[in-house]
Amino acid sequence: MNPEGERAIESTERILMQSFGRGSTECMVDPHDRSDRFELIAACEGATLAQFANDVLDGDPPLSVRQEPRPQLLMQQVRDPVERRPFNLGEVLVTPAEVELEGTRGFAMVPGKGERAALSGAIVDAAVAADHEETPAIIAALEDVAARQREQRRRDWSQSKHTAVEFETMEGQE
Amino acid sequence: MGYVAVTAGEELIERAEQLFEKQRIDDDADDIGVDQIEGQLGRLTAQAMSEGGLYAPRLAALAVKQAQGDTVEAAFLLRAYRSTLERFDETTTVDPGEMIATRRVSPAFKDIPGGQILGATKDYTQRLLDFDLADGSPEDPTAEWELDDEGDPERLTNVTELLREEGLLHEPDEPAVDEPNDTTRESITHPPERDEVLQELARGETGAVTALGYSALRGYGQVHPTLAEVRVGRLPVRIEHPYTGAEVTVTHTEVTESEAVVPVYEKREDPQFAFGYGLTFGRNERKAIGMTILDASIQLDGDDEPAENAEFVLDTVDGTDSFGFIEHLKLPHYVTFQSILDRIRAIRERKGLSEQSRVETDERPADSAVAGTSDDD
Repeated sequence: MNPEGERAIESTERILMQSFGRGSTECMVDPHDRSDRFELIAACEGATLAQFANDVLDGDPPLSVRQEPRPQLLMQQVRDPVERRPFNLGEVLVTPAEVELEGTRGFAMVPGKGERAALSGAIVDAAVAADHEETPAIIAALEDVAARQREQRRRDWSQSKHTAVEFETMEGQE
Repeated sequence: MGYVAVTAGEELIERAEQLFEKQRIDDDADDIGVDQIEGQLGRLTAQAMSEGGLYAPRLAALAVKQAQGDTVEAAFLLRAYRSTLERFDETTTVDPGEMIATRRVSPAFKDIPGGQILGATKDYTQRLLDFDLADGSPEDPTAEWELDDEGDPERLTNVTELLREEGLLHEPDEPAVDEPNDTTRESITHPPERDEVLQELARGETGAVTALGYSALRGYGQVHPTLAEVRVGRLPVRIEHPYTGAEVTVTHTEVTESEAVVPVYEKREDPQFAFGYGLTFGRNERKAIGMTILDASIQLDGDDEPAENAEFVLDTVDGTDSFGFIEHLKLPHYVTFQSILDRIRAIRERKGLSEQSRVETDERPADSAVAGTSDDD
């Protein structure tokens, strides 16, 4: 590379170090909030959701399935950093479902092919929205999911940072 | 080319398929579980998802099992499955800068903000067969690590974004459209839009993307990039919640990203870098880097080098296309071949070659006569 290019890169390295800002990806989640609840249900184990759904349906409340749980596709769009326009990276398999439980709607979407988990998740969502008697137990379970997610994220990050390295150039060394 | 149906005994075809299935269980070893494939052969499932254009780790593991490890066949199975499904929606557009990185290295800059994070890699160690794996019990080599609590993952600023801030990168024109074209729904017309190029490369066959990218490095092209960074991490998959309208995260996809800078100061009045970009599902750095080279090459819009010709690249990188076309040659072509034979025989007849050839072959041993006929093909 020519000297002009090298100077440019040195200068850019300085700017990089100065302008870098640490951004946290963490935020608090609240299972009472519908959007937060959606994310926690999506991350919850199917068996846990199924157990709560069974408990909610135990008293045989009126339930209608507004959207059958069926695997569907989401096209993941990413902003290309060159032209800053979106492109389609590829499709992601998800299973959505929607129910109406005692007049209250519930919606869930789980990753992958998970018909039972999606239907159970929609029932759980509606149950919390309707303040069903199972709500405290559901909230506690979803808070556990949030805690485990956070812990896993931090552990993964700590593990990756454990491999952080500083490369040293060996110019002038024999 | 036309196609003519042929018939064969259905039972015989079933027997052939059964023999294929038997190969999976043709010894006393335990049946390999889908969980094992998903957990232990992640590179295979990643490749199948990437080339299939469908992120579904568990089904990719199933596809790999069904295909007996043939990744292109597994990608085909995933594409066939997706073709039976409805699309719920597009996600909201995610910025790759939001990636939660588990690995990030910059070959261009020694000191980068956030540091060089090697993550899980064997890039810097010898590639020697580890015979202990053959019958050893698995042990977690990180079990004794004493980890510092590093807090929550940092958002690592893209190196190229910062180069752009200094004016060292070409500033793009404002995009003309917000909605990208979807090459799974509409065929590409040439010259392709950039978003179409990236989508097709993202689901290109790893070997083809690597080979074509390599061709540019080997002198069949002008691009020899410096990688600004290579990352592996997770990107959020977000939709608008149907009730609240808020952006919500359904899951994350594991992706590999590569960004390259290509010096173009000899070509422009304002010395700057051009960009190459690669992003694909799963852990597949080789493919992401190959994609980056091809993206940068295609932007040169050359006709002389294969890697710079978008039509050539996009017509050849798709594994399902190439697999289908190459492997279909095994299937019966009796009618088309008979037609070719008839035509060649007629030409030879007209030129008086057939009689002469018959005399010559009559004088040869029988096996040579067969070879002579084969030459006519």
